[in-house]
Amino acid sequence: MGEKKREHPGRSQDGQRRVLDQATRQRRLHRQLDALEKDNFQDDPHANLPQLKRLPQFDDNNESAKKKKKTRGDHFKQRFRKNFQALLEEQNLSVNEGPNYLTACAPPSSLPQRHFCTVCGFPSHYTCASCGARYCCVPCLSTHQETRCLKWTV
Amino acid sequence: MATLVLDSGAATAKIGYSEEQVRCVTPASPSGSGHRVQRSFHSPFGFSYSVIPNCQFRSKTARLKTFTANQIDEIKDPSGLYYILPFQKGYLVNWDVQRQVWDQLFGREMYKVDFSETTILITEPYFNFNSIQESMNEILFEEYQFQEVYRTNAGTLSAHKYFQENKSELCCLVVDSGYSFTHIVPYCKGKKMNEGICRINVGGKLLANHLKEIISYRQLHVMDETHVINQVKEDVCYVSQDFYKDMEIAQLKGEANTVMRDYILPDFSTIKKGFCKPREEMVFSGKYKTSEQILRLTNERFAVPEILFHPSDIGIQEMGIPEAIVHSVQNLPEEMHPHFYNNIILTGGNTLLPGFRDRVYADVRSLTPCECDVSVLLPENPVTHSWEGGKLLSESSDFMDMVVTRDDYEENGHSICEEKFDI
Repeated sequence: MGEKKREHPGRSQDGQRRVLDQATRQRRLHRQLDALEKDNFQDDPHANLPQLKRLPQFDDNNESAKKKKKTRGDHFKQRFRKNFQALLEEQNLSVNEGPNYLTACAPPSSLPQRHFCTVCGFPSHYTCASCGARYCCVPCLSTHQETRCLKWTV
Repeated sequence: MATLVLDSGAATAKIGYSEEQVRCVTPASPSGSGHRVQRSFHSPFGFSYSVIPNCQFRSKTARLKTFTANQIDEIKDPSGLYYILPFQKGYLVNWDVQRQVWDQLFGREMYKVDFSETTILITEPYFNFNSIQESMNEILFEEYQFQEVYRTNAGTLSAHKYFQENKSELCCLVVDSGYSFTHIVPYCKGKKMNEGICRINVGGKLLANHLKEIISYRQLHVMDETHVINQVKEDVCYVSQDFYKDMEIAQLKGEANTVMRDYILPDFSTIKKGFCKPREEMVFSGKYKTSEQILRLTNERFAVPEILFHPSDIGIQEMGIPEAIVHSVQNLPEEMHPHFYNNIILTGGNTLLPGFRDRVYADVRSLTPCECDVSVLLPENPVTHSWEGGKLLSESSDFMDMVVTRDDYEENGHSICEEKFDI
């Protein structure tokens, strides 16, 4: 059993092929599309820098430090710090009449979806039975199974 | 009184004074300040404007320093460049960053704005959220203390320029394909028609990120190199006129594959900027003997821009640009349809992709009735077209009736802005 599992990474204990359901496939797609919205994939190069905070001095009293912080916070008021999702919810567009951000979005195309190999990008005719990804030939299928099918290594 | 025109995009700010300023106030040309400014233009009329990154950067090599806007020129090694953008999905959310960029743009090093003597004309996205509009009013009037403010959409300015140049036309359809998304916006007699606005959530950022993703999977890990890959996109990507034929060519081996390009990546020591290897130097079989890092691009060249025309190719269930143009026009009164199809203008950075105009024309042509004339215009400079429109507008005689003055704002607050600006 153990050997068999090693041979077929896509198969579960009882030798059955693991098949992702529709919801999981959708979730994967969403995750991929969300990744395309990211500004950076690497970490902020300043993130791990040692904090350059001035060490507290004995003659510093707590009060002045607090005051300083407050005036600065006042400068950038709370409502200037909202992300896109919060702003969209605040706008409460679903109950609004007339054209707005939500209604302006282009509807789905009436043309049939085209399919391309997820490995090489050329038109594909086959679908991976486990995860639903498209592939065009046997070499691409094996690359797909080694790298992205059911797990995400690259 | 000077007027500063600022087309504030999610990727770049297009900024400059309108002509008046050059004539009567001290010249504030940024090129005279001793700083290198990205892509500064001088038109025959003597005004100057610049296209400047509307964001901040951090570099791996220059620790402890955050570079703002045009300071990108000071970064010697932009590999692994980290972006801090004030915009999210095309809407201004990070005011801390935006203000630092504005401080730089308005400050001594660049436009030397005398706020008490200046009117600002600034652009915003369509259907901008109320709270962003209010924050914008507050910051422009209360923080910077501009004398007068006029807020509008970039497309409105493009349409203004178009109507000025083509006085006999009644309608136009602005296709603005920018960094965050693509909008199709109909204008009739200078008025924006909200019911026809259509947004496709595909922009230059998505294209560059997708290219980055597929190159990283297929060849070389470049996920951290947004800056470099964006340049690759601008250098090698094009819009295919016959998608499946190009796919066939891209599959051919050797010399016959006329789509294939080898792109030399910059190393930022000897090669400052990436470039395509000339065709005659390409090695079709085997490896290069040189040590440069090379990307081999085939179907990526046209499959990436194709997302603008078929977002469903990567699973975005939305119409592509030509289909959305037709959809947008269908929402408008029927007697206007021929006017819209005959006056399509393309603006925004993505329209610079080779073949973009021809493809939009061909696809819209095939989707519209044959008795309609179709005309698609790609302006000489699609990125700054709306800036130029803003300049024209600020010089028109009724501009001063359109602005909100600081006195008005102090008297009436946000409501007067809501009343006067058509966002």
